[in-house]
Amino acid sequence: MIMRRAERPNNEMSKADTVHARIKRVIVESLMIEGLAPEEIGDEQALFGEGLGLDSVDALELVLGLENEFDIKVKSDQMDKSAFASVNTLAEFVERQKRAAEAVATPDE
Amino acid sequence: MSIVITGIGTVGPHGVGTAALAAALADGTNAATELEPVPDFHSPSAHPRYLGRVDPAALAPHLDPRTSRRMSLPSRLAVVAARLARADAGLEAEHFEGHDVAVCLGTAFGPTDFTIRLLDQIRDKGPEAASPFLFMESVANAHAGQVALDAQLVGPNATIVQREASALSAVAQGVSYLASGRCELALVGAVDEIAPMTHGALERFGALSSGPCGRALDAARDGYAVSEGATVLVLERDDTAHARGARVLARVRTALRGNDPTASAVTWGDGAERLGLTLRLGLERAGLTPFAIDRVVSGASGSRRGDRLEALLLRQVLGDTPPSVLTPKAVTGEFGGGFLAAAVLAATGADFGPTPGFESVDPELGLRPHDGRPLERARTVLVSSLAAGGAAAWLVLEAGEA
Amino acid sequence: MSAPVHASASLAPPARVFVTGLGCVTPFGIGVEAFARGLASARAAFDDVTLFPSAGHRTRLAGEVRAELGPALADLAPRVKRHLSRTDAFAVLAAREALSDAALAPEDGEAGVFLGSSTGGMFEGEEFFWRLRATGGRARVSDIASQQHNGPADAVARAFGLHGPLVTMSSACSAASMAFEAALASLRAGETDVALAGGADGLCRLTYAGFNALRAVDEAPCRPFRADRAGLSLGEGAGLLVLETEAHARARGARVHGEFLGAGSSCDAHHMTAPKEDGSGLALAVEKALADARIGPADVDAVNAHGTATPLNDAAEWRGLTAVFGERVRELVFLPTKASIGHLLGAAGGAEAVASLLALRAGCATRVPGEGPLDPDCPARFADAAELPLAHDATILSVNLAFGGANAAVLLRGVRP
Repeated sequence: MIMRRAERPNNEMSKADTVHARIKRVIVESLMIEGLAPEEIGDEQALFGEGLGLDSVDALELVLGLENEFDIKVKSDQMDKSAFASVNTLAEFVERQKRAAEAVATPDE
Repeated sequence: MSIVITGIGTVGPHGVGTAALAAALADGTNAATELEPVPDFHSPSAHPRYLGRVDPAALAPHLDPRTSRRMSLPSRLAVVAARLARADAGLEAEHFEGHDVAVCLGTAFGPTDFTIRLLDQIRDKGPEAASPFLFMESVANAHAGQVALDAQLVGPNATIVQREASALSAVAQGVSYLASGRCELALVGAVDEIAPMTHGALERFGALSSGPCGRALDAARDGYAVSEGATVLVLERDDTAHARGARVLARVRTALRGNDPTASAVTWGDGAERLGLTLRLGLERAGLTPFAIDRVVSGASGSRRGDRLEALLLRQVLGDTPPSVLTPKAVTGEFGGGFLAAAVLAATGADFGPTPGFESVDPELGLRPHDGRPLERARTVLVSSLAAGGAAAWLVLEAGEA
Repeated sequence: MSAPVHASASLAPPARVFVTGLGCVTPFGIGVEAFARGLASARAAFDDVTLFPSAGHRTRLAGEVRAELGPALADLAPRVKRHLSRTDAFAVLAAREALSDAALAPEDGEAGVFLGSSTGGMFEGEEFFWRLRATGGRARVSDIASQQHNGPADAVARAFGLHGPLVTMSSACSAASMAFEAALASLRAGETDVALAGGADGLCRLTYAGFNALRAVDEAPCRPFRADRAGLSLGEGAGLLVLETEAHARARGARVHGEFLGAGSSCDAHHMTAPKEDGSGLALAVEKALADARIGPADVDAVNAHGTATPLNDAAEWRGLTAVFGERVRELVFLPTKASIGHLLGAAGGAEAVASLLALRAGCATRVPGEGPLDPDCPARFADAAELPLAHDATILSVNLAFGGANAAVLLRGVRP
């Protein structure tokens, strides 16, 4: 079951702030990566393994950050490894989660 | 079989590295600084508070951000101290790879700051907001795990928690692993951070000195001063040390442990006589008599009850006129491993200056700490630490190569 | 350096060490017999956690100790009862039972205490912290007195007037088994003749929310080694053994429950929370324990597995054990104790050692709670549909894996009645 969290105002966020840019900011902030600017992360750059060198605990921390940022709730069995390959795949993942959350919030009568 | 210390790494309020601590011990200077009261943790009263802090900027050159990204302060301290110790001992990757290297670290309080941050998240935003990072580094053995991870050390990985006796207990456990063939080499020591909650709790208990240093053994002592930091020693058997041509800083003649069951959960007891028997029997097992001890590095810290027990124990075992008693906690503060580093320096013949904060002998204790006059090099050093709650741990160190 | 991994100080076999007393507090209740009955019931001890709210977690379950501790502690001296956390109380009750079972009187006072604890009195520490935050710092100082990691070991030594080595091993989930190893080395070296060893840990918000954050908990009761396992269930309690040198045990005519054959520990040095996937770190600890006990893999009959029931742990554990035992791993009888009482963290190895000795006493591995298909990737042979026979003098390996990569293995052998 996917539950929508209480509404949260998306304050101080400009319209130009794309999903990609927000994900990059979450990566740097929630993973405490010092000395890396969000915009330095490429959309296609590998996040795990050889790329940014992230691991399974980073993935959990990242999900927590994304849940907060995008008001989504990710179930453990939805944490598909392929979703965490790059910022691009994460953006698709977030969009999918948001659509699913909206579908639950406005169920068919 | 004999076990030797071949390397030392220390990080504390005096700075990074052994030289800074040695200089402070020679001058008799304490490095605690004033601490602003932290809301919720400290009482509102306006008296000054002190803490021996580690300057985070001093750690930075020893840790790249990628390695330390997820580390708590105690993990950073321990990893830096371990790196310094390995370098000091001349150990390279070849000495670790395929070898059984143990890590054995003592800590009094564990990673309290991360623990508090995690509890704040749970309290303020619910368990859904709990950070995996913080939890991973909130376990008391996180720093020992990080030290092993940093150098790929696959031997026993132990974390010992016994308040003021944590450091020497951890050394004793490392000695046990080595002596029983459970490892070939051991990184042993102690690490602690003093989070505001810890500082505030110790203050509420009346454990802390009103001044920047604890007045060890002094008649007017009113508590100890606390410090953050880490000290790591490299221990190995003398045959392996000899085989790789390592310099021997000191020999561990024996490591002893005991307990004073008269202690309450929060302070020291009054079982000096029975503790003395435990210590004497331990010395005997190692083929030593009290007469062999020609220097004492005492864990006396300025605590009312702790110093009383320590002094009565030392007189019980060594007589009413014991050899020179060094009380380095007046310089290093309690916790953070500075005491252990000072004990090894004492065995290597380092200079010890006057004891800061000491003015007059307590007639009940009848012990005077070292006054700073030049000392002959000691041959056999008894290192003593008694913990609130009852634990006791002792080392006997012998001078290494002259 | 070219020293062999096991360069013992002498070639003579080390002193033998016997188990002469058992004590525990488990989610099944206070005492060894309550634990034995619970294990034999083939029912798990999980229920909704009541110590703190479970809302917002992925599960509501825990193996909580519901027995009233106050009456059980009534006859202890007031100075011993002051500042006892729940965890300290578990340790003291288990120690009292173990000493009494071993027929050791407190005035024998030389014993050492080697206890594992991962969080000590964290539950009480959290209460204190909550109150500080809620009141802007007005909380009674005595409320934090019991929150230390060394609380359980200190309390045991204080309660029974013990003067020997006092060692709190706080190595997360391997803490109790590493405490056994430390006790064994101390006994063999002649540092002490008798040791109370094991572990104690109580439930607290920190670990309940922490494992939840790692998505390591199952909503339903944990199902070790089953194909549909989805995580661990937390529990609490204490498990202690009285360990004694052969000479000391014989001199006083002590009844022997079993022999503590050996122990070994290692570190993965791989990751802070995840086990090495090939289980090689665990395999190293098991090989060291076998060498320490001077026996071979063929001498082992059963395994009290770590078996947390996280998908990663059980598979890695199976691979590590396969590396040591080869195809024989399929013949070993597995005791997945956590299916009954959950993961007791720093007490796990202690309670699991008691469970192992109870299985040897009973002469069988009792039926394991839970159902569901077995996992072809880790086809552990455990008492699923029916109990499995075990000789009274069988040899059991007990293993634990922990955060920080710490692995520990201990070897116990039973005695014929």
